[in-house]
Amino acid sequence: MDWQELVIELILMPLVAFIAGLGMVLMMRKIAARIQRRVGPPLLQPLWDIIKLHGKVTQTSHGLIHEIGIVMAIGGYVAAETLLPVPGMNGLSEKGGLIALLYMTMIPSLGLALGVGQCANPNGSIGISRALTAMLAYDIPMVIVIFGVAYHFQSTNLVQIIAAQQAGGVETWGIVQMPLLAIAGLFGLQAMLGKQPFEIYVAPAEIATGPMVEMGGKFLGGLFVMQCFQLYTAAVLYTVLFLGGGQDWITFLLKAFAVVAIPMTIAFVFPRYRTEDMVRLVWKWPVMIGLLGIAFVMN
Amino acid sequence: MPSLTSLDHLLLISALTLVLMLLFGRLRIAGPASVVLYGGQFAALIATGVLFGEPVASSFTLTVLDQTMSWRYDALSWFFAMITIGAGFVCAWYAAGAWMDRYRERGHSARAFHVALALNVFSMLLLLGSGDFLSLFLGWELVSWASFLLMVIAGGLAAKAALRYLAYAFTGAMAILGGMALVYGQVGTFAYADVLEALPAMSNGQLWTLLLLLGSGFAVKMGLLPFHLWQAGAYAETPGPGSAFLGAISARMGLYAIIVVFVAGAGIARLTALEVPYTFLSSRELIAWIAALTVILPTYTALQQHDARYLLAWHGIGQGGYMLLGLMVGNAVGSAGGLLHVFNYAITQAALLMAVFAVAHRTGTTDLNKLGGLVTRMPLTFLVLLFGIISLAGLPPMAGFVSKWMVYRSLLTEGMPLLFVAAVIGTLGTILSVYKLIHNIFLGQLRLEHVDVREAPLSMLIPMLGLSAVIFLAGFIPGPALSWVAQVQQLLGLPQVPFTLGGIVDARGGLDMIWLVSILMAGFGVGALVFFGLGNKSRRVHQLDNYAGGHFLTADVRYQYSDNFYAGLMHLIGSWYRGTFLWLEGALASSLELMSHAMNGLYRFVQPTLLMLAAAVAALAWASA
Repeated sequence: MDWQELVIELILMPLVAFIAGLGMVLMMRKIAARIQRRVGPPLLQPLWDIIKLHGKVTQTSHGLIHEIGIVMAIGGYVAAETLLPVPGMNGLSEKGGLIALLYMTMIPSLGLALGVGQCANPNGSIGISRALTAMLAYDIPMVIVIFGVAYHFQSTNLVQIIAAQQAGGVETWGIVQMPLLAIAGLFGLQAMLGKQPFEIYVAPAEIATGPMVEMGGKFLGGLFVMQCFQLYTAAVLYTVLFLGGGQDWITFLLKAFAVVAIPMTIAFVFPRYRTEDMVRLVWKWPVMIGLLGIAFVMN
Repeated sequence: MPSLTSLDHLLLISALTLVLMLLFGRLRIAGPASVVLYGGQFAALIATGVLFGEPVASSFTLTVLDQTMSWRYDALSWFFAMITIGAGFVCAWYAAGAWMDRYRERGHSARAFHVALALNVFSMLLLLGSGDFLSLFLGWELVSWASFLLMVIAGGLAAKAALRYLAYAFTGAMAILGGMALVYGQVGTFAYADVLEALPAMSNGQLWTLLLLLGSGFAVKMGLLPFHLWQAGAYAETPGPGSAFLGAISARMGLYAIIVVFVAGAGIARLTALEVPYTFLSSRELIAWIAALTVILPTYTALQQHDARYLLAWHGIGQGGYMLLGLMVGNAVGSAGGLLHVFNYAITQAALLMAVFAVAHRTGTTDLNKLGGLVTRMPLTFLVLLFGIISLAGLPPMAGFVSKWMVYRSLLTEGMPLLFVAAVIGTLGTILSVYKLIHNIFLGQLRLEHVDVREAPLSMLIPMLGLSAVIFLAGFIPGPALSWVAQVQQLLGLPQVPFTLGGIVDARGGLDMIWLVSILMAGFGVGALVFFGLGNKSRRVHQLDNYAGGHFLTADVRYQYSDNFYAGLMHLIGSWYRGTFLWLEGALASSLELMSHAMNGLYRFVQPTLLMLAAAVAALAWASA
């Protein structure tokens, strides 16, 4: 491939991800509003929020690691986006593949954890201990799903996984071939995105007891950007694994937005589980469904 | 007298190091001199050229009762010896300056330390060069006693842990001796070439006996389940650089022996054909599952440790499981991943333990509940620990990611879902536990008594930073290390891993770390632009200026969240920690004690005449039958 083309792809892929992520945040807030019988925010509200947070006068830093944590949180996702193939652009997806992508998306979490740690707020640290526990919970069904998909397509190369699904129309889509794994994946996705009933570690409703406790101004703004990337990454990954990826941008974005809409719609009608109950639930149902799915895939 | 070979040079320099330390170990110059001498050993190892060339034999041999002991180096020996000498080199450097001054002030003997370290390196080099089972056993015993010496010289808790190690090591050595006797009875010689040739043809029963005897003997050194209990305490309590050395490489001698006998000798195919009676498992799967459990259980034990040294030592046991797991998968990528992890883990663990002991050097404690907030005081040590934990947890861009990725990838290719999930469970546990490590030492609240703590001394920082650079480079450009591993695979008769400078070539999903790390760095650059370039300038507040829950927190109030860090998780899995292995060990020890009491009673207190009569009757009955 031409190197100029590659450079353009590497710039475009994170940019598209950010813009689509903004749209997903907007959709999330709209869905919440409609369920709660409100109108919801206008179109550009997520963008204004980020600009507002960056423009705040009071920007309290607790030290260099606090700042580097945010840099890692954004940077890790910017890098991860180039590993996710989108219509017409493969970026670096053939250099890493599925396992590398999974571990690349842990870098932002590590950055956030380090940043929160330096704030020396015990509530922040408790939030991180819960977040890491949640990661331990949802990553187990997630890797079961990833194993099943990679085994089914005999590849960890996302480009090949997409090509194999697009070869025979909807019938060869992951969701048709491996419905149980798709269910387990959706379950895991709910926890991965930290949506109700699994949102105790984000604790968005009571910011003073979660990881965000010391995050104000552009620190929170950076995490807002990270959230856009996170929603997009999760949605696109699910689309790539189960919904045949994207042949063109319209169907691709439709699929990705639909994937995010599901957890959102479920989320806002649920209360919250305690950490240990969440772990128990996630280790039980999606893991069982996923293992059953693998048993089908491997036979 | 035959002319000296390049291997003789290596062994002679190593022996010279030992002698010089024995004679002059008390002098201050001994520290820097030992660094130079280990450097010389490294150069001598490179000069042997066995990695890409032909194996070299030593011209020394030793004949005992018509059995000749010989030594030779091949690519496998080179690979392990390179790590051994490298670990000796950085640990000696770490010990050479301020650390040794403090060690002397405490009334410990510098000579004993230098001698113990040199003896460890020398005996490991001998073991790695063994050309037959006799020299293997000789090397094995020397290594055991050398590590015992290094553990015991500081006294106190270390000595107690070392005694426990000795009990395990003796038992393991007896099992190995039994295995060797069996081999000799079958093959009639101790030479590797003959024995390894005869191994695959042995009957299932014979191979099982060998596997149990030799395998469990080697497993003791390696710290595989269920023989792992000795290791964490023994390694953690050893004085600083000694602990880093033992943690980095010592236990891998067990892996070396397993590779020689069971991977190169019996072979993966033979192990696969060897069924576990009355089950649907093969012995290969059994070993792979032992490896997987060795990953999981010690890792989650590490999660519960309050002492940084113990936490890392427990992880050391767990990481050994990945190496064996990769080797048991046995395909090109898996076995390469297992071997590569020996190297990647060694540099990681050495750097981590050095960072922890540097903190101990400055603050006097490694108790995770008595530290915190040191990042502003010891930023470089923080950096070393950060690089180390990323590598230990197996996240990009550090070295540990590459080898773990290879193990995962091979489990995927071979279709081993449960082992794959087990390997990932181990990694997730590692992430949890290393975050607790770095958080409780460097992040969170700075304690008032640590306000004046300074960065670690330069003599300790240089080897630490050097190792960190290697950890990053081995992740960024894994090609060179992979080329060593590929040579070892060729020697062992395993399929060779297809690699490039940047990683693994595989049409169905490869890895190119040069691209991945570059894009990650570029991503950080973008993140930095967004954060530092946009928005209003941030204002740093003083480290001790904190509040929580609406209250200002003054520095004399302790509010660091450290104890029982994963309380939510422990609500669920806390009751799963039952100490079963401790219970088993205790049960075994008390049954032995009971037996010794019974024997004591029988021989010393029961009527000896009655015993003699019984013995005489038994002998007569046997003779007449």
